[in-house]
Parts: sequence; structure tokens; C-alpha cells
Amino acid sequence: MPPLELLLQQAWNGVMLGVMYALVAVGFTLFFGVLDVIHFSHGDIFMLGAFTGLTVLAGLRAAGVGGALLALPLTFAASILVTGAVGVLAERVCVKPLARASPLMTLLATLSLGLVIREAVLIFYPRGADPKPFPRLLPQGGVELGGVAIRYENLAILGIGLAAMVAVDLVIRRTRMGAAIRAVAQEPEAAQMMGVNLDRTVDATFFLGSGLAAVAGILSGLYYSEIHFIMGVTGGVIGFSAAAIGGLGNVYGAIIGGLLFGVLQTTAAALIPRGSEFRDVVAFAVVMVFLVFKPSGLLGEKSVERV
Amino acid sequence: MSLLEVTGLTVRFGGLVALDGVDVVVAEGETVGVIGPNGSGKTTLFNALTGLLAPAAGDVVFLGRRLTGLEAHAIARLGIARTFQASRLCLDLSAFDNILIGMHARRRTGLLDSVVRRGRLVGEMRAAIERASHLLALFNRDLPRRGFERVGQLPQIDRRRVEICRALAAGPRLLLLDEPSAGMNPEETAELMRDLRIVRDEMPGLSVVIIEHDMFVIEGVSQRVVAFNYGRKIAEGSFAEVARHTEVRAAYLGTETAHA
Repeated sequence: MPPLELLLQQAWNGVMLGVMYALVAVGFTLFFGVLDVIHFSHGDIFMLGAFTGLTVLAGLRAAGVGGALLALPLTFAASILVTGAVGVLAERVCVKPLARASPLMTLLATLSLGLVIREAVLIFYPRGADPKPFPRLLPQGGVELGGVAIRYENLAILGIGLAAMVAVDLVIRRTRMGAAIRAVAQEPEAAQMMGVNLDRTVDATFFLGSGLAAVAGILSGLYYSEIHFIMGVTGGVIGFSAAAIGGLGNVYGAIIGGLLFGVLQTTAAALIPRGSEFRDVVAFAVVMVFLVFKPSGLLGEKSVERV
Repeated sequence: MSLLEVTGLTVRFGGLVALDGVDVVVAEGETVGVIGPNGSGKTTLFNALTGLLAPAAGDVVFLGRRLTGLEAHAIARLGIARTFQASRLCLDLSAFDNILIGMHARRRTGLLDSVVRRGRLVGEMRAAIERASHLLALFNRDLPRRGFERVGQLPQIDRRRVEICRALAAGPRLLLLDEPSAGMNPEETAELMRDLRIVRDEMPGLSVVIIEHDMFVIEGVSQRVVAFNYGRKIAEGSFAEVARHTEVRAAYLGTETAHA
């Protein structure tokens, strides 16, 4: 049994990862809630967000904007706009035209689009195959709390991630567009009969979910100090698993699922000999066992039969 | 002046003709009952009127505007509201939330107001809840007090009322009711008829088209009745006239085909 401090430390690290997973998972769950689709290019949109962030940061540096306090908000805003737009485009190209086709077609189309995005970054980004160093813009250093090292950087990541989640929650619960999103998620035909513009609502949902993926992508760059064109593959699968654990269609479930997955990964690394090599194996094995016993997820409203 | 004019409306599902050259006129303030056996095209008529289905031929003119080709939400904004046969309430949301969605097209505040001009949003919400409470109270004095509860927890008759309130919330000129008494016992059906008369008294300018299998309801609330069979209009007139019509009797009671 490893010492308690180590476990706490790993749990804290897991929360860091979990915040990023949760942001990706919320996108999956929003798309599923509103259109009943699983948008498999979402992981690569997360990667695209990270690369857009890196590009914007480089541009800002070239333009002489050095301070993180100015550069970071601009980077987040620009990346959210880019991934949001790509997400809306993805829906219009890969989801809407296939609305009447078998759900398998949508799955295939979004998977293919993910591949296109991934390969495009590989080919068109300068030396796209190499891992790219991501600038350390967050305050360095940290404090120790009961044997757990807490870096300021991590606190900032946690803060930004939580702020993004709170923002999405407010949009969904407190705005007119949010009301439209919730209505379309539950009763699309009735919502239209009430004057809700279905296309606009779907666009807004995809913008929102894809924008969150950009936040996750940049946070991931800041956390690992490195990004790679392949990061969307694992990122996407983990995000989807987190959404499934939480119950597809439920935003809070996706957040809980993301945190759970992160903590599961890191504590597995601590508890099992040579665990860090097996952390993904353990985490996904737990997901499989979990889904066998509770296929609708922790807070699932929609049963899996609807997929 | 007629509020709604439907001419030659035809809807096809592949080779099946669900509506076959149907003409219907609805005057302002009038309640029209629609009857016909299952599969005779009643709900298809509603779906075509509200833009959920694209007609193959024919014209729908509402308030002097052609509706054919418009999207569903645009038609709703022009003033046509409906309820569904199987309730389409958002059961996980509260009654107020559901009715607020009914007011969607009327709300004027956007995302920015939620952040910078909270006062406007709060004012709009207050007015909306007041209006929703007023509508609910028309049917059941106790209902506004349960306005924040999940609709799924309300009894069937109250759910139907919330659904009608949601349709009325947008201030429509034409209300389409698709078998509101479905799944109700005779007492509830009597209450429903009382509710429909309240709607008519409170909103005298509102036109209503109601699909019903319960002839008691049709006789009680409609001024004019249209009967459908196999996608065609087979009779039209007062309830008594339509009830006497041979083709209507045949459609409902069956017919001796030997000498038909």
C-alpha cells in the first residue's frame, strides 16, 4: 500500500486530468443530447483547439504581445472561435445531411472527418509529425499542503476549467438559447412548434461544445507543456468514455465522468506495480465493467436503446 | 374573413397518399372539429399545416400568407400553435419552463442581457411567469403553485393543461389540438371540455381545430365538423349533419360492400 500522501497527490493530479476530460466529455454529451449523435471527430477538434492556441500564441509573440495576462485570454477566444466554427461546419457536413440515414453512417462520417483534421494538421502544420513544445505561460512554483505538492499552474488550470464549466451551465440554464437547447434535446418537434429554430439551436450547441474542446486543448498544452497531432485520438476516446460513464445527454454526468476517469487513471498508477504503464488499461477496464452493469451511466436519462 | 384556407392539400409517403386534395377553411374565432377513423389523415393534416411534413401538392394560406415551403419554426411564429396526441411536454422540466419555451419566439433578451443587463432579463422572466400563472389558473386555481415542479409529477389532466398553456403562451391565432382527450377517463374528458370552453370564452378571436375520437367532445365544442376517410374529406357541416352522412356512418360502422 503506498503512503497516503502519494495517493492524495495522485488524486490531485487526477483532478487536473479530469477537468480536461470533463470539458471534452461535455461536448460529446451536448451533441448526443440534442441530436442523438456521437460526434467522433470531437477528439480531433480538441487537438485542433490546442494547435490553434499554439499558433495564436506564436503570432502574438511575434507581434510583441508577451504578457500571459493578455495573451492567454486572446488565445482562448481565438481558439474557441476557430473550433466552434469547425464544429458547426462538421455538423452541417457530416451530421445534418445524414439525419435520415442509419446512425452508423453518421458515426462513419464523423470518424472520417476526425481523420481528415488529424492528417491536415500533420501535413500542413510545419513539422506536424513532431510533438510541439507549448509555452509555459502560467505562474510557476507552488505550495505544499499536507504532503501534497500543489503547483500554481495547476490551480490556474483548475480555475479556468471550472470557469468554463460554470459558463456553459449558465448558458444552458439561464439563457433563451439554453432553453431552446434543452427543449430540442427533449422534444425537437414540439420545440419547433413553439417557434424554436432547430438549425440555429443545433449550430449553437455545436459551437458551445466545440468551443469547450478548444479550452480543453489549450489547458492540455499548458499542463503537459507539449502537444501532438495524435492527442485527439486518446483525448476523444477518454472524453467519450467519460460522457458514457456519466450518462450520455447529461452535462453534470459528463463532468463527474471526466473527473472520475482522471482520478481512476492516476490512482491506478499509484496502486498497481508498474501502474503508470497500465493506467489506461486499468481505467478503460473499469469503464467496461461499469458499462456492463450500468449501461445508462451514472446520471443517464436516456436509455442506451435509443442510440 | 377566413383565417386559414387549405386547398388541394396532398401529402404522400412514398406510394401511399396520406392526404388527397383536401380543402379546409377555418374562420376567425371558429372551432372546427376533425373526425375520421385511424389513419384517415387527421394528424397528417396537422403535420402538413405546421411544416413538419412537406406537402406534395396544394396550398395553405394563413392570414393571407402562403405557408407551403416555410420552416416549422417560422410557421409557429406566424401564429399557429399545436398540441400533440401523445404529450410532448418536456417531462423533466417544470411547468413554467415548458410554458416559457412556448414564449420562445416572443422573448427579446439575448445572451448579452444575461451578462450585462440582468434587470431586463429578470423583468422578462417575471412577466413570463406571471403570464404562465395566469394561463394555468384559467384551468386550475392550484396549478400555478405547482409551476416549479417537474411536469412529470403532475396528473394526466394537468399535464394536458400545461401543454395547452404552452401552446397558448405564444399568443397564437390558430390552435391545433390533436386528440386532447386521448387516454382520459370520462370525468377527465368532461373537465377537458370545460377547459376548452374556458379557452373559447377567454380568447374569442382564437380559432381552434380539434381532432377527436370522442364524439361527445366534438359535439360539445365544435361549431363545424369535417370528416376524413382514407385521406379525403368525405363530409362537412354541423355535427348533426355530418353524423347523419352515410359515408361517415360507413367509415365508422363498416359497410355492406356486397351492394356498394
